[in-house]
Amino acid sequence: MAGELMLEKWSGAVSVINIGSTKEEGGTRSRVIQVGGEAALPFLFQEGVIPHKPVIAFEIWDTAPADWPQELTKSYAGVLANPFVWAQMCVKEYKAELLCIKLQGAHPDFTDKSPDEEAKFISQLLKKVDVPLIILGCGDDTKDNLVLPACCEAAKGERCLVGSAVQDNYKTLTAAVLADGHNIIAESPIDINIAKQLNILISDMGLPLERIVINPTIGALGYGLEYAYSIMERARLAALAGDKTVASPFICLVGQESWRAKEAKALMNEFPTWGPESERGAIWEAVTATALIQAGADILVMRHPRAIEKVNKYIEELMK
Amino acid sequence: MEKFKITFYPDNKTIEVEKGKNILSAAISAGVYINSSCGGDGVCGRCKVILKKGQVITQPTGRISLDERKKGFYLACLTTIQSDLDVEVPSESRLDLEKLSPEEIDLRLKGLYSESEEVEPPESILGEEIFVHSPLATKLYLELPPPDLEDKISDLERLYRQIRRIQDIPIMQTGLSNIRRLGELLRASDWKITLTLGKRNGTTELVLIEPGNTSHKNFGLAFDIGTTTISGQLVDLNTKKVLGTKATYNKQASFGSDIITRIIYAQEQDGLEKLHHAVIDGMNQMIQELIHEHNIDLNDVNCILCAGNTTMVHLLLRVDPTYIRRQPYVPVANFVPTIRASEAGIKINPRGLLSCVPGISSYVGGDVTAGVLSCGLDSTEDLSILIDIGTNGEIVLGNRDFLISASASAGPAFEGSGVSCGMRSSRGAIQKVKITPGDFQVTYNTIGTSTALSADGERSRTIGEAKPHGICGSGYIDIIAQVLRAGLLDKNGKIKMLKHRRIRDGEYGREFVLAFKEETDSTSDIVITEVDIENIKRAKAAIYSATAALVKYMALDFSKIKKIFIAGGFGTCIDTDNAISIGLLPDLDRSKFIFVGNSSLAGARAILLSYEAMKQANEIAKKITYFELSVEPGYMDEYMAALFFPHTDLSKFPSTKEGRL
Repeated sequence: MAGELMLEKWSGAVSVINIGSTKEEGGTRSRVIQVGGEAALPFLFQEGVIPHKPVIAFEIWDTAPADWPQELTKSYAGVLANPFVWAQMCVKEYKAELLCIKLQGAHPDFTDKSPDEEAKFISQLLKKVDVPLIILGCGDDTKDNLVLPACCEAAKGERCLVGSAVQDNYKTLTAAVLADGHNIIAESPIDINIAKQLNILISDMGLPLERIVINPTIGALGYGLEYAYSIMERARLAALAGDKTVASPFICLVGQESWRAKEAKALMNEFPTWGPESERGAIWEAVTATALIQAGADILVMRHPRAIEKVNKYIEELMK
Repeated sequence: MEKFKITFYPDNKTIEVEKGKNILSAAISAGVYINSSCGGDGVCGRCKVILKKGQVITQPTGRISLDERKKGFYLACLTTIQSDLDVEVPSESRLDLEKLSPEEIDLRLKGLYSESEEVEPPESILGEEIFVHSPLATKLYLELPPPDLEDKISDLERLYRQIRRIQDIPIMQTGLSNIRRLGELLRASDWKITLTLGKRNGTTELVLIEPGNTSHKNFGLAFDIGTTTISGQLVDLNTKKVLGTKATYNKQASFGSDIITRIIYAQEQDGLEKLHHAVIDGMNQMIQELIHEHNIDLNDVNCILCAGNTTMVHLLLRVDPTYIRRQPYVPVANFVPTIRASEAGIKINPRGLLSCVPGISSYVGGDVTAGVLSCGLDSTEDLSILIDIGTNGEIVLGNRDFLISASASAGPAFEGSGVSCGMRSSRGAIQKVKITPGDFQVTYNTIGTSTALSADGERSRTIGEAKPHGICGSGYIDIIAQVLRAGLLDKNGKIKMLKHRRIRDGEYGREFVLAFKEETDSTSDIVITEVDIENIKRAKAAIYSATAALVKYMALDFSKIKKIFIAGGFGTCIDTDNAISIGLLPDLDRSKFIFVGNSSLAGARAILLSYEAMKQANEIAKKITYFELSVEPGYMDEYMAALFFPHTDLSKFPSTKEGRL
């Protein structure tokens, strides 16, 4: 007997975010990346349009990462100390279409770079590469409130995605993003209510909901991935049912979380049965990413070039 | 009738009493506090006094040693007065209130102590006439025919016979101590006596026999024992008239602001004892104030009716509450039999009765039963909700066919505790606030005490006479609603930094100045801080989400609810629009909301005045089912969603969205 597909009808859709701005729009990027716009659950093409594919951003730092495992640093040998060369390598060699700059160097416990230094760094980086940028603060609220506005101003007109705004510290960043025409990342601790509340708070300040990307906070495979999955699924269901306040694309910091997992970074001589680390870490990152794509992730910030390559192929397959 | 003068030393207090009264009751009338834990049964031996001068009749007792007897010691409760007396009260017989060390008093009163204050008496929604007037204790004046050779039945049967000629009382009980003094008392009083009859667990007890006619003096007390606030009311049991209503903070708060902390404290050494004393001290003090203000003899206060949450009732009775907080959360007793008030340490007539409104579960107590009774939730076809906004918010949903309850820990913020400038709704409390957007001008009303007649002759309260001293629950609701509306507060409860003389960063985060020191009755500015707002936000979220979860659990939605009764000690003047715009109450047709004030106290009074009401309260307590929110998976989510002004799901509050609020 031929079965008939039961199709869900949705009334809402995820908003579309444009990252990067070309010459025509007053920026200097070579292209604009569009994410979001889904009118159905991930890859259920029959239920609604899925206009834009998930995109992967290469994560780079403004300072040489101290704790990245060898398997990861091998892929970026010789460039980690120079973020400009690192960025160019991602774009030229690994064909990155989007870069995510983490301003870890601004952290008081790291190199404590001044807002001026970081602003200068961003304007120089914009000259060295022409792909759209995601800019992430160092995670210290006080410092980020000084650094990120300076960077927003330095990147004025480039329509970056800047983060992260959190529930207790969103006002300064929202004001800066609003003034300089960027998009914002709203980060919540695996909590759909806080995600929604933060979106409302930010939009109450005048930044349209269509310029917010949600960072739902994720866990890597084996480290709470399913919690993140279900929160993302719930938010997406609400968005499709018409709730505009959670209808934002998701950004997931996959690289950061995956490479914290012991299973990703442990050496083979410690756990002989786990197999060679040269394979394992990248697979751990790729599997985490693919699961989150199924949950509705729109932007994946990743680290290992081989994992990125694999996930890109996977996305291509799914979008066929 | 013959009267004698009794003088107590070292107090040097003199009182005139009828012949035949015992020394203990004379001491109580004179305001001399003598220990008596058995309630005048002659058992405990703690009411020893020394007779210096005069004639008495006493009953033999093993509590007085031969040596003591030689020195003139008597048990005050067993000794009847036959002439003018001089009596010395030795220090060991004095009530131990004064024995507290200064440190202990400080600890007990830390931060929270305040004199009890006059508050508005709560009104019973049903009106008083629904229940037959039959108070917990009634007085009956009898003139017995003296026995003669024709009519030789015994004194006690003679008494019963006379009672049954007036009232049909099948079963009567009389304590041995009453029988022991009966023969002497009847003859000394020329067969003219007043009986106090108490309703006691289905039977009637002959509580007290007094010489002469005191039947016009019969008073009782209704109490609402809350975690944060104790409210009491003195009632004339003959006329049903409320003589006075007072409220004070529960002194137990110095041992923890919520019931769980107190239950844990009760397990410490002397913890239970201290908690028990904290509550009865507060009640005894309030009783003293009430009887003095209304010039009433403590001997004429014959019964007390208490409504309280389950833990409070345990602590009042000095019953270990430990198992309330251990799975499966079972209290020692929900239906507490009527006992002698003195057994619980409550100082009224030593033989007076104490009864508690039956509770429902460990976390929904007799205060809720009393509230349901006073709002008539159980007697209407319409679906209604009773929300009692206290430290523990209790919610009852139902109608005459079913009643279901839930409890949510809201914290004491709405009762003015745990917030920087909070106070109860009493004189000097800011209760209504308006803040104009733009220039943030503040206008407020404080609770005043004087009253005036308005044009239409109705009694109306003159407001704004008292200088502000603090902010009460309804004031906080208004302030938050108004600063939200004025754009000063984000929906998360954070104050925006603007250059304005009313906004500043204080010790507890950013704050908004409501009234500057100069305009207040306080030693500092009256402010609301971000921490206060956070506390109120949690409290309102707990109440709203519990209500929403209960409605959802019953597969109903708010539109099906016909009436919502709002009870709580924060006064009856909540602005409905404001309460909705902060997300405390659901966004429904405003006419559905009925503010009933302290419905627990109103219910306790109804039960005090009518045994019918007591029977109905028993029925209600048996009927209400309890819904345990802590094991309901959806509740935490509801709560998190409600931690926002007004709510994370703005579509639940269309009025705020449409800008009507």
